[in-house]
Amino acid sequence: MTTVLIADDSETILLLMRTRLELAGYTVETAVDGQEVTERIDPSSTDGPDLLLLDAMMPRKSGIDALRELRAAGVETPALIVSAHQDPGDANAPTDLEISGYVTKPIDFDLLLGAVAELTAQAS
Amino acid sequence: MLTAAAVIGVGHFIAERQNYESSIERSFQTEMQARVEIAEGAGGKAARQTITREEAHRAELRNSISDDTRDTAILVGAGLIAGLIGALLLFTGLIATMRRPLEQLVDAAGRLAAGDRSTRVEVGGLSETATLGNAFNEMAAELELEASERDKLDRMKDEFVLTASHELRSPLTSVQGFAELLMMERDSLTQRQVETVEIILDNCRHLVRLLNDLLDLARSDAGRLTIRPRPTELGPLVEDVVRSMRAQTDGSEQSLTERIEPNLPLVVVEPDRIRQILVNLVTNAHEYSPERASIQVTARVADAGVEIDVSDNGPGIPPAQLEHIFERFVRGDAGLTQRVGGTGLGLAISKSLVELHGGAISVDSEVGRGSTFSVLLPVAPPGAVEEPAGSRAIAEGPR
Repeated sequence: MTTVLIADDSETILLLMRTRLELAGYTVETAVDGQEVTERIDPSSTDGPDLLLLDAMMPRKSGIDALRELRAAGVETPALIVSAHQDPGDANAPTDLEISGYVTKPIDFDLLLGAVAELTAQAS
Repeated sequence: MLTAAAVIGVGHFIAERQNYESSIERSFQTEMQARVEIAEGAGGKAARQTITREEAHRAELRNSISDDTRDTAILVGAGLIAGLIGALLLFTGLIATMRRPLEQLVDAAGRLAAGDRSTRVEVGGLSETATLGNAFNEMAAELELEASERDKLDRMKDEFVLTASHELRSPLTSVQGFAELLMMERDSLTQRQVETVEIILDNCRHLVRLLNDLLDLARSDAGRLTIRPRPTELGPLVEDVVRSMRAQTDGSEQSLTERIEPNLPLVVVEPDRIRQILVNLVTNAHEYSPERASIQVTARVADAGVEIDVSDNGPGIPPAQLEHIFERFVRGDAGLTQRVGGTGLGLAISKSLVELHGGAISVDSEVGRGSTFSVLLPVAPPGAVEEPAGSRAIAEGPR
């Protein structure tokens, strides 16, 4: 069973992504911000999610900051960053982090599901 | 000073003259008295001596006064010349005093006109030039204040558009996403429901296009529209655009063809941005041309680079509109009357993007014959090799 952890501060977007991913056969966990993501993932365990889908901007802790903490703790789970930015090269795209790709809003689910399939196939 | 000498000289001359005249008069009176004495038989030798003495005295007076007159004339002449020279010197000095502040004013006005609103002049010289200088400085200060307020407003506008277009993306994602979810169950929807959802999706795409365009313009205004150009082969890019647009042109039974000159040199561009420009130009040709029109995209070597032309045999653009065609929110008549999905921003953005590449965009159109939009792009230096895409965007929203 492939598990995807999604973090977004919008309940509606979480519901949308969860529905689409579940329809595509994934198990979905959700978090409302980066803080919850870092609390949820135990760096010493190999039992975590197979893919992270993190919103770039969230209150309390952004997806980027959460990922930075996880990477520092040795978590190598592939991660996609969801951004309202039209251009992934734009603004806050960090170059020091292992990021598998960027997803722009509005989300093109055909492309997103393709990328999720590719990344989780690599992981397993 | 010499002028003062002349004045003193003239004054001295007048006083001397008065002295002389009263002395002469006294001398005549003394002589007349002596002659009267002789005529009355009273005067003797003494009276005759008086006459002789007075005659000699007057001659002496006349000599001395003519010397004085000559001296005075010389003095007055010299004084006048000196005065003229002085006046000339004074005038030259005056001009010199005025000249520097005036030259400064001319310089400063030039700098101000060129946009340097911090320009001020040194206030000095005559009171008139000082007043002028003060007035100039006040005007420049006001302009500077206005400009800084305008810049502030501009920045606020740019920030607003950037923020708004980001903030609108999340709700738009939901609307579009859930409408797509509904469409996944289209088999259980009625025909009318399917049409309704299609309208929602259509408008979502329009909104996305509008947001992307606004964002590009705001970025362009803020100087934040950036490109990452790399040596690129144009042929496949043009073919790709034509292929992606064919569904739409086929729907209007329009013919869409491409003609790519063989062995085109590589161009230095950001492929995604060139694709955006070409999609925009072909979309315009498609939307503004009637059914069964033909649209052709050609790529060829031109004088200064590689030129891509997008031509149609549609209605053409009237000269009055042609002039403003690359300005924002300017749309052709058809765009206002028919169902054309544009935002009125496409050409303004295309122009910004082409210019950012160091290229040029132009249009040639004739009413009733059609329009040709030409994009000229810079060629890569010899020996350049095509670089693969470095972008890690895996899910880009439709532009």
